[in-house]
Amino acid sequence: MAAVGGGGLPAYALRRLLLALPVLFGVSVLVFAVLHLAPGDPAAIMLGAQATKEDVVRLHRDLGLDQPLVVQYVRWMGHVLQGDLGRSIPLGRAVLPEVLLRFKATLVLTAGALLIAILLGLAAGIVSAVKQYTWLDRISMGVAVTGVSLPVFWTGIMLILLFALQLRWFPSSGMSSPYGSGVADVLWHLVLPAVTLGTASAAALARLTRSSVLEIIRQDYVRSARAKGLAERAVITRHVLKNAINPIITVLGLQVGFLLGGAILTETVFSWPGLGSMMVRAIQARDYPLVQGGVLLIATTFVLVNLVVDLLYAVFDPRIRYD
Amino acid sequence: MTTRRTWMIAALILAVALVSGAGAAPPKDAIVIGLLAEPVTMDPPQITDLNSARVTKRIFEGLVAQELGSYKLVPGLARSWEISKDGLIYTFNLRANVTFHDGTLFNAEAVKFCFERQLNEQGPYYKTGTYPYVKGFLGNVQGVEVVNPLTVQIKLKAPLTPFLQYLAHQSLFIYSPEALKKHGKDMVKNPVGTGPFKLETWEPGVKVVLARNDQYWGGAPKVRQAIYVPIIEAQARLAAIKTGEIDLTMDVPPDSLESLRKDPNITVAESNSSAVWYIALNTRHAVLKDKRVRQAMNYAINKDAIIRDILKGTAIVSSGPMSPVYGPFHEEKTTRYPYDPEKAKALLKDAGYAGGFEVIFLVPESGSGMQQPVEMGTVIQAQLQAVGIKARIQTMEWGAYLKKYLDGPDMAEMSWNPSIGDPDHVTYMLLSSDRFPPAFNAGFYQNARVDELLRKGRTTVGDAERAAIYKEAQRIISDEAPWIFIDHGRQIIIHRKRVQGFKLHPNFDLVLTQVWLQ
Repeated sequence: MAAVGGGGLPAYALRRLLLALPVLFGVSVLVFAVLHLAPGDPAAIMLGAQATKEDVVRLHRDLGLDQPLVVQYVRWMGHVLQGDLGRSIPLGRAVLPEVLLRFKATLVLTAGALLIAILLGLAAGIVSAVKQYTWLDRISMGVAVTGVSLPVFWTGIMLILLFALQLRWFPSSGMSSPYGSGVADVLWHLVLPAVTLGTASAAALARLTRSSVLEIIRQDYVRSARAKGLAERAVITRHVLKNAINPIITVLGLQVGFLLGGAILTETVFSWPGLGSMMVRAIQARDYPLVQGGVLLIATTFVLVNLVVDLLYAVFDPRIRYD
Repeated sequence: MTTRRTWMIAALILAVALVSGAGAAPPKDAIVIGLLAEPVTMDPPQITDLNSARVTKRIFEGLVAQELGSYKLVPGLARSWEISKDGLIYTFNLRANVTFHDGTLFNAEAVKFCFERQLNEQGPYYKTGTYPYVKGFLGNVQGVEVVNPLTVQIKLKAPLTPFLQYLAHQSLFIYSPEALKKHGKDMVKNPVGTGPFKLETWEPGVKVVLARNDQYWGGAPKVRQAIYVPIIEAQARLAAIKTGEIDLTMDVPPDSLESLRKDPNITVAESNSSAVWYIALNTRHAVLKDKRVRQAMNYAINKDAIIRDILKGTAIVSSGPMSPVYGPFHEEKTTRYPYDPEKAKALLKDAGYAGGFEVIFLVPESGSGMQQPVEMGTVIQAQLQAVGIKARIQTMEWGAYLKKYLDGPDMAEMSWNPSIGDPDHVTYMLLSSDRFPPAFNAGFYQNARVDELLRKGRTTVGDAERAAIYKEAQRIISDEAPWIFIDHGRQIIIHRKRVQGFKLHPNFDLVLTQVWLQ
């Protein structure tokens, strides 16, 4: 573990956390405004063709939607600051426990996808860098370009058709069997969605790892290490990878955001009970409190992940200090 | 090397997961149903969507019920009922010794409690929910009175014949007052009714498990458990039913129906439904106000081709608002609009639009009951173009669409799956001038005779008299063509052969009391 300068790191982390507050405030204003200004009315969507004029008016009043937007925002923010994200309009459930519960499922999926992205991406990237211009390199990069280009909803449906419908190796949807439970069951259900979501990231990571490793591998100290008679494996892991890792971590941090976003489509295709599939439904229903709560949670996560990434730089590269 | 070890561990976990997971077979006495989405809420008066209704109608019951497979009313929690001569007082004789799933007794007080929760805005429990249809279904109720523990009287402000059908709608179903007092707003996930099934677990987004109610007054159902799982993607529903992960589902890709019909393990159950898919025409539009123009547009569209090529036979041609499932109330002898572009052109010429005209045509990207809105809209646009009408399509997302739809568009796609089994709920709801926007008569259709008939139909009591009223209304409406009549979607449920005794219901409900598993 690398040394970090004095009390700089905690102070830096604290400063970053304080800076996150205006960011989250901005996010809250933005999501509130975008949602409420977009055409559509939760009452009308709930009521459908059976609506009577009286019911539309009464529902607006009961939901507080007849108030000016500023009043609605201040009222909502007041509750949020007290830790109360309100109640979903059609679900009638408290928003906070609901989004946290769904977020857990999203984290499982994102973690699975990230694992696949790292394993596949790093391996492919390193191999193609070390064996530059060989057939291995060409194949890895060919697959990577294809992987980056495929939309997840398409990959997802293709995987369902092949592995669920034809080969019957994996279930077609959900996070657990209707009549089963346990960790193994969840892992079994996780495979297809995690592969779907992880491949695109793996591809991006592979390309970056390749270029990052190639840059380092030509440095003088690598030649020295080799000249010393160090085994190639040791050269790569100890000297090359360690120095190539920072740009990779940056992209990995961004990929977490990409995965959280990509999870929306993957979750919908596989009916994964995460935040993404829930948000799609909430947006369609103009479920303001639920969408606002979900976006705040995602934004907070993203801010925190970025902070962790910045702190990790210092861990991997002793030259970086936060004073 | 670490990477290699990680790989091996991952592979091992996968192998274990594969073996253990793949071994799990559906239990013998539990039916697994793949829904399009999970229920939204389980508090009856707050339900507005089909998925919630399909699950909660197993848990709760109303005073009256519909006979399986038709809209005929049969006793529910009420053994019998009388309606006073003036049509204002409904007296219900309730079943004795019926208990809620929490062990409390069902009686007249419970009925009064459930209705007053919604009706009395100053009441102690009004704020335990939002009641989307309270004005629509209970707005005409003067009061509810307990005559004795097993007799309850509902007084209306004015006669309203469809009211009895309203009582078969989930928003007026009866739940345990004690459960509401205990759970308050969280009633939405703690349903306590009297029905054949009770809630065992609800894992949000994952599954809802209902367990058989062995104390059910009508006799316990044959299946021990009903498990509902949400499967959003149509291809995934298809895969799940084919592999046997689930026992019953709906809305698979229409292309797949042929192969499903040939599958020896699968039954495709089909029937007509009460749904109607139409294009509302703005009768106040400078050109569309001419009946000949609206008729021409009906002649211009090849409905058979749309049903055959886009809907793959999952609908029947429509010539009015009401589908044949309304039985005695359905009029066969209405004006028909077979595909006839020449006649359309002649009518347009007659109306003075031989050179055609231009309109804006609203099309949603998707939406509740909307079938294939974009594909259908595109074909309709091309066929209108062939007779000289230039319809400029504007597509939008469903939530935004609903707002635009009630904003007086020139012409716009819409569909309606009535949850109430009364002819009033299609005709009056969609075509009476009492129902101009923000209610759903989006084309501002107004015909004095139709208005008179539809208002009379609401207060007339005898079925024969009402049938005559609605038949006349349908004849006028079809001839006046306030809509381009397109189709009535058929209800299609796909289930594994091991599911026995399943029967379709016209309002898309999935009734399980009579179902058993082989």
